[in-house]
Amino acid sequence: MPTSNPDNEEGEFFGQFLNEYYAECDEHLTLVRRNLLALEAQVGRPQVDHALLDELFRSFHTLKGISAMVGLSAAEQLAHHLESYLRALRQQEAALDTRGLETLLTATSLLEQVIGARRDEKPSPDIGVVVEQLEALTLSGSPEPAPESSRADAPPHAAPANGAAAKRTWRVEFTPTPALAERGVNVNSVRARLQGLGEIVRATPQVRKQGEIAFLFVVATDAAESAFGGWEADGLTVAPFEEEAPAAVATAAPAPAVTLGAANVVRVDLARLDELMRMVGELVVSRARLEDQLKGLKRGGVPAATWRPLQETSHTIGRQLRDLRDGVMRVRMVQIGETFERMQFVVRDLTREGGKRVTLKTEGRETEIDKFLVERMTDPLMHLVRNAVTHGLETPAEREARGKFAEGRIKLCAATRGERVFVEVEDDGRGIDRARVAARAAARGLVEPGASLSDAALLDVLCAPGFSTRDEADRGSGRGVGMDVVRNTVEELGGSLLLETKRGRGTRFVVELPLTLALTEALIVGAGGQRFAVPQSAVREVFEAEPGAVKRFENNEVVAHRGGALPLVRLARLFNLEGEGQGAARVFVLGGGGGAGALGVVVDRVIGQREIVVRRIADPLARAAGVAGATELGDGRVVLILDVAALRQLAAGRL
Amino acid sequence: MASLRPLGAVAFSEAGSGLEAIERLALGAVELIILDLNMPDMHGVEVLEFVRGHHAYRELPVVVLTTRGDEASRAEALAAGATRYLTKPFAPQNLHECVRELLDAA
Amino acid sequence: MTVNNQGGSEPFILFELAGTTYGVRSRFVQQVEMVEHVTPVPNASAAVEGVVFARGQVVPALSLRARFGFEKMPFDLRTRLVVVNTGARVVGLLVDTAREFVRISAESIEPPPDTITGLSGKYLEGIASLAGGRLVLILNLDEVLDLEGMQASDDATGETSGT
Repeated sequence: MPTSNPDNEEGEFFGQFLNEYYAECDEHLTLVRRNLLALEAQVGRPQVDHALLDELFRSFHTLKGISAMVGLSAAEQLAHHLESYLRALRQQEAALDTRGLETLLTATSLLEQVIGARRDEKPSPDIGVVVEQLEALTLSGSPEPAPESSRADAPPHAAPANGAAAKRTWRVEFTPTPALAERGVNVNSVRARLQGLGEIVRATPQVRKQGEIAFLFVVATDAAESAFGGWEADGLTVAPFEEEAPAAVATAAPAPAVTLGAANVVRVDLARLDELMRMVGELVVSRARLEDQLKGLKRGGVPAATWRPLQETSHTIGRQLRDLRDGVMRVRMVQIGETFERMQFVVRDLTREGGKRVTLKTEGRETEIDKFLVERMTDPLMHLVRNAVTHGLETPAEREARGKFAEGRIKLCAATRGERVFVEVEDDGRGIDRARVAARAAARGLVEPGASLSDAALLDVLCAPGFSTRDEADRGSGRGVGMDVVRNTVEELGGSLLLETKRGRGTRFVVELPLTLALTEALIVGAGGQRFAVPQSAVREVFEAEPGAVKRFENNEVVAHRGGALPLVRLARLFNLEGEGQGAARVFVLGGGGGAGALGVVVDRVIGQREIVVRRIADPLARAAGVAGATELGDGRVVLILDVAALRQLAAGRL
Repeated sequence: MASLRPLGAVAFSEAGSGLEAIERLALGAVELIILDLNMPDMHGVEVLEFVRGHHAYRELPVVVLTTRGDEASRAEALAAGATRYLTKPFAPQNLHECVRELLDAA
Repeated sequence: MTVNNQGGSEPFILFELAGTTYGVRSRFVQQVEMVEHVTPVPNASAAVEGVVFARGQVVPALSLRARFGFEKMPFDLRTRLVVVNTGARVVGLLVDTAREFVRISAESIEPPPDTITGLSGKYLEGIASLAGGRLVLILNLDEVLDLEGMQASDDATGETSGT
């Protein structure tokens, strides 16, 4: 760890160290979130599942230790107090009630924020209030104040040494009256008096049955009971603070193991896996070259006895490469369940503040998806879930008036179909008001006034930059990213976004993503003397159109195809390339499963179908509308991969 | 406080903390609260939640003072039942108008 | 940004462009390559010739001739791609030729004289005079790679490749 004069190397080392710290925090927080959700079901039970508490305790214990190591004291303190409270719960010195669970949840979120703030080099949020709450909870059942000794890494002592700590906790109630105020006895003077005695653990206002306002103080002090003598005259009542759980219950709990049981897991930097995948990709390209050369041998009249064994070996390598690729891919895959758990937190937070009642159902938590994709999709999914709660669902009263269950339903599901993953966010709320969106869109010149919007057109409008159906007050909460960012992210990842909504019935967003980013099947085409790759998943069919079959009016071209008129765009023209091919047009058809919305793209040649390695185009100088990335076909030249969604938009601008 | 003087026949009571503010409610008739969200002991929103949780003060006008850039607290305060909010720094005139309007309406 | 090493000098890669010698700090240069094939990028900025692979990365090839307002030239055997890595970005600079590697001391670099104004002045960090009276114009990479500046010059000339 850098102490003084951190030179470059040391700084780099520490940076890497920090990255490992963040990754480890992430793992533990994920585990914590899962366990807290499980714990929620046990609130109010006399006996809470011990294994769950043990696991939570261990997570916070580890978080405390590693935070101390990187010198993040706010996280260390929070984790320490969380740990102390859990210890109290385990030893049944405190009971788990709703408030306790809420505090655990809040403190966990805060811990995440504190760590996040460090990572983003932002000022850390204040932990004082939450720490106090945790302390009060820890104390509530215990005659002992939070054991300071627990700062040592030793497991908690089961039975606190009796008599060693003379501090006791008192409950002091103060009811202000004008008469007392006259005499200078008020909440401030009381507070000062208590501070003189010891430490105020909690200070909260309370409302009595008659509407009378009082203040409750919880004070930890080593002063004798006599110190409170004569306080009744000042409107103060003093009593020992809930001492009903005697230390006798403190059965010697086994010391929790401090190490995590996951010794067989290796954490790998995603960048290293990318590198590995890139090398696999290069092998795939080399094999394609080998295959080409074999074809050359065959054509060159080399006897079959010579090339056949080579051919077989090449096939074997091909199969082995696919296995290798699958293996590397599997390493990158994580279950989407973790992300879904996060959403549960989002929904909890929103319902608590928004007066809505929501059940969140999840399906397909075990669906595996590329780690990179999951990370990039977390914020957009969160946005969709937030939208569903805030805008999708009606208030309980509205719902009942419409004959629905007062409790709204949100469903998150994930499933794999072929090489694609589908993630859906569905609510059974009010549905999107098409007329209202259309009116707002018309006002902004996005659609013709009076237009009726299909689901797809509705989504286009909602995803227009800056367009939002949110209210100003809601925007003030500074949440979320906006639908435009949601769609952009999905498309950047090679996916697509779909919307279905029915008035009064609900709304469903479907996010379709590739399973993984690195390799994909592509159609290789030529236009304007240049080669392009088109993701195979976007291409519905390929056909050849006779020159005479293409009809032209004004600037538009269509071709009769499958009993309908297919609109055409010429790739060379769209991209302003020279040497537009004459003769027969090769057409590949994009999208439009049922025919509507299909678009024919005219190219000079269709070269073939290949598996390609997708490379990102990092520098903004090299980015262009209609281009999603780049690949190489074995000759070292860059071949651009078409961005099908953007291509359609470009074409729409032209047609 | 000084900026409210031109309001005339209004009595002010200034509280230095959240608990103190709540004590004022207990001690005498309060017609309007101007609540700064930043206080030493309780968060303004907690005070507001307490006030709104008390049946006698459900309709009491509460003007919340927020800091520029802290839109999150502002939204939270509005959700917790703030009647109005003003963003600091504000012109004294704005506070007058706000207070006068709310007192007239009450 | 200066690096203090012995003698206060720093290595530079020199390259030629329209008869003038330019220099770029060697620590920003990732590699210098011959240019075989550049894949044009549709509707990109006029100065962007296209993209190439550099160490497995897709990198834009920026024509410094176009960027500095000279006429473009077809590639030949002398043409080089100087791939610069600023930490934040990796960009290839297409130059007429690049063959030299020299150390230039910090003292011999002077700010560009006020008489060099407009386009060329902005892209320069300074001018170094080498032994024998030879002048080297030191590039200001931030300005050269500046995107907004590039869009502005596209707008000014009304020229975007292929419009």
